[in-house]
Amino acid sequence: MKPGTLVRLALAGTRSDTVRVALTGLSAGLATLAYLAALTVIVIPTVEDGGGRVSPQYRHALIAEAGLRPGVVVVLVLLTVPVLALAGQCALLGAPSRDRRLSAIRLAGASPGQAIAIAATETGLASVLGTVVGLGAYFGGREFLHRPDADGRLPLPTDVVPPVWWIAAVCVGIPVVAMLFAVLQLRRVAVTPFGVVRRVRTRAPLPWPGALIVVGLIATATVVPLSRQLEGDPEESGALLLVVLLCGLGCATIGVVTGTGWISYRTGWLMHRFGRRPATLLAARRLMADPWSGSRTLAALLACLVFGGGAAGVRSSFATDFEAERLAAQRSDPSGVIIEPRDTDFYFGAFNLVNIAIGVGLVIAAGGLIVALAESIVSRRRAYAALVATGVPRSTLAKAVMWQSLVPAAAGIVVALAVGAALSQSLFGDEVEREGIVLEVPVPVDDLALLGAGAVAAVLAVVGVGLLFLRASTALEELRV
Amino acid sequence: MSYLSARGLVRSYGRTPALRGVNLDVEEGEIVAVTGPSGCGKSTLLHCLAGILRPDAGEVTYRGRRIDTLSEGARAALRRTEFGVLFQFGQLVAELTAAENVALPLLLAGTGRREARTAALSWLDRLGVADFADQRPGEMSGGQQQRCAVARALVTEPRVLFCDEPTGALDSLAGEQVLGHLVRLAREQRTTVVLVTHDVQVAAYGDREIMLRDGAADPTGLGTVAAQQ
Amino acid sequence: MSTPHVLLGLLVDGPKHGYDLKRAHDLKLPRAKPVAFGQVYATLGRLVRDGLVVPAGQDRDAGPDRTSYELTEEGRKALKEWIAAVEAPMPHLSSVLLAKVVVALLVGDVNQAREYLAAQRAAHTTRLRELTGVKTDPDASLSDVIAADFGIAHLDADLRWLQTTLDRVADLHREVTTR
Repeated sequence: MKPGTLVRLALAGTRSDTVRVALTGLSAGLATLAYLAALTVIVIPTVEDGGGRVSPQYRHALIAEAGLRPGVVVVLVLLTVPVLALAGQCALLGAPSRDRRLSAIRLAGASPGQAIAIAATETGLASVLGTVVGLGAYFGGREFLHRPDADGRLPLPTDVVPPVWWIAAVCVGIPVVAMLFAVLQLRRVAVTPFGVVRRVRTRAPLPWPGALIVVGLIATATVVPLSRQLEGDPEESGALLLVVLLCGLGCATIGVVTGTGWISYRTGWLMHRFGRRPATLLAARRLMADPWSGSRTLAALLACLVFGGGAAGVRSSFATDFEAERLAAQRSDPSGVIIEPRDTDFYFGAFNLVNIAIGVGLVIAAGGLIVALAESIVSRRRAYAALVATGVPRSTLAKAVMWQSLVPAAAGIVVALAVGAALSQSLFGDEVEREGIVLEVPVPVDDLALLGAGAVAAVLAVVGVGLLFLRASTALEELRV
Repeated sequence: MSYLSARGLVRSYGRTPALRGVNLDVEEGEIVAVTGPSGCGKSTLLHCLAGILRPDAGEVTYRGRRIDTLSEGARAALRRTEFGVLFQFGQLVAELTAAENVALPLLLAGTGRREARTAALSWLDRLGVADFADQRPGEMSGGQQQRCAVARALVTEPRVLFCDEPTGALDSLAGEQVLGHLVRLAREQRTTVVLVTHDVQVAAYGDREIMLRDGAADPTGLGTVAAQQ
Repeated sequence: MSTPHVLLGLLVDGPKHGYDLKRAHDLKLPRAKPVAFGQVYATLGRLVRDGLVVPAGQDRDAGPDRTSYELTEEGRKALKEWIAAVEAPMPHLSSVLLAKVVVALLVGDVNQAREYLAAQRAAHTTRLRELTGVKTDPDASLSDVIAADFGIAHLDADLRWLQTTLDRVADLHREVTTR
């Protein structure tokens, strides 16, 4: 197959394919931007300044203080998680029609490898374009935001550039990963030229993700005792502890996400067992037929909430620590004059930044959710239209869609927040001690409730948009297709 | 006044006319085949008669009552209670078992779950697919799925059954089984059937044939309605 | 013609006399044209002459008409060969239907050709409906059903041809009238 033919076939598609390509490009661009920003923060040079290591040319402490920069890097990298999840959802947009087209190309005599090459080319081209745009935005942004203030200090690290080969690695890596992802998703089409896969029973998920959550909690709980054991070499032990912490966090998050499959199946079973109305029957059977769809579509949202719950816990733990410190100071100096007030504003400012990042992540995740829900409705439009034609009221179908989206989401949200808060507890303990003053760290109920409410509101908004698609998909003209 | 009748039905999709003035009368208990080449407006006519689509002009009366002027909600209720609809394929809900699919219309009408299941099982039995009651559509052959769809269409004991190429996706033997069951049960229940098909063998299951050509009835079968107008 | 071989086939499960043969023929091929007694006896005569069947005895209480016949070894062989032999697929395209349309067009009367085609189509459709009724009758035997199927398939082929020809003639008619 000549490259020209490959590109021509890769670009043959309908409107939903165009949307998919655009969104794939967009998410590749956003990911590029986030990774380049993270790399830039990593390469900031530091000077020794008394006890601390700083980069005095920056205005904001988060960037100026070397000790805080790893946190910034982690947040930037974590921000790419919902972005990549969105890209994953977008890859499903219009997928049935693309699969049919690829099947047709296979039937016309293309080898499985060629069919995959065509699809991967589409994704690859889109992500290359997106990466190029992201790169342009990065360098453009550097020029635009390079605004030293009166003291010559910079708002952002626009004075350093990561090594060229790092940038090149990002620009090559993102499209390659995207293409690999596309290939992975297409293995089914590759096997058979008839893109149709019969719906058969999936086995009921088992509750093993719960074990994963426990492992994650145990791993984080070992971090502090481990750090006491390893006090010898801070550099080495720091890296080890970071690995343990990330493993714990990763295990718990994967546990929550995959656990949603089990929750979906179980709630589906309960609804089927005790539900009375047709809407609950439809929703229950749908949850049981594809319990993993909740895991797939809610992954980014739940990951955000685990981090959010964790951040709320850490914030509560810090606040309690400051309070203990204040009480201790007060006791040692009963006059009430605090000798050296700590700059707590700085910490809370940092937490607010993290919260903003989580909020952005939630919005992006909700975007992915809309794409997934719309796709699932549009791909089933024939069955929906046929049901409406036989007199099933649209409200019944709407209720079914609502049940099947809300139930696993609500359960997943609760579990994710609880696991997040538990992670921070197992990391920092449930009480703080400062010079004999012991305070219990309260569970940050308000913050968690706010996050949960925000997430539920996001899911509700998504369902609302999904119902608009339902209305369009049950237009009885669909019967003519 | 006939049981079900259409007068001067006109319906277009965009600027393409599908029906241009169709008149038709169906008597109670009759099995009427509507035939004609593809694109002659058969399906559109069926959808107008069943209250799925609204005609642009003309009227549809069912037991002396205009139904084309009813609201969507009222027509949906009519389709749910008095009419049954059977399509070529893809009408079963993939996630529900055969019995649940058949029970669905009853559940919508407020029947209890156990009662609905019993009725569904008895209908599946009458269509010879009782063994598949707890299978999903994906686990059944096309003919078995379609017999299941017949059971679902008949479970509410509708007065009129509308079928749009009900065997279009089946081989002749599987199609014959579906039609054989359908016609036998319809006669037992005295259900009126409107059967749209392009296949003369399928049309022969009807008592009477109405030929459609270029969006109008072609009673002589000469096939030049449009040319003569 | 297939009648001699059908009679040979009916004799496979034991000797029969002429009357039994006629009855068995009409029973096993219910939708076929009934065979006449005369034809049965004439055919049997020819089969005896060719050595495919032999008279196997007579009923005591009856006249020469009650002679029963049985298959010879030769007869069995001939029957086997006939069953195995492939029939020529429509060697001659001849039918009264076809002839009528061709002649009507030859005469130049397009309208009459169309009217004939439409009327013939209606008649075919009616017959098709009758045979479908036979097939869907719950009491129908297997030989009824396969005989009905045979008729249905042929009527279907005829109907398809009739419809296509109607369309072609209508096109021709349109051309003629608009010119």
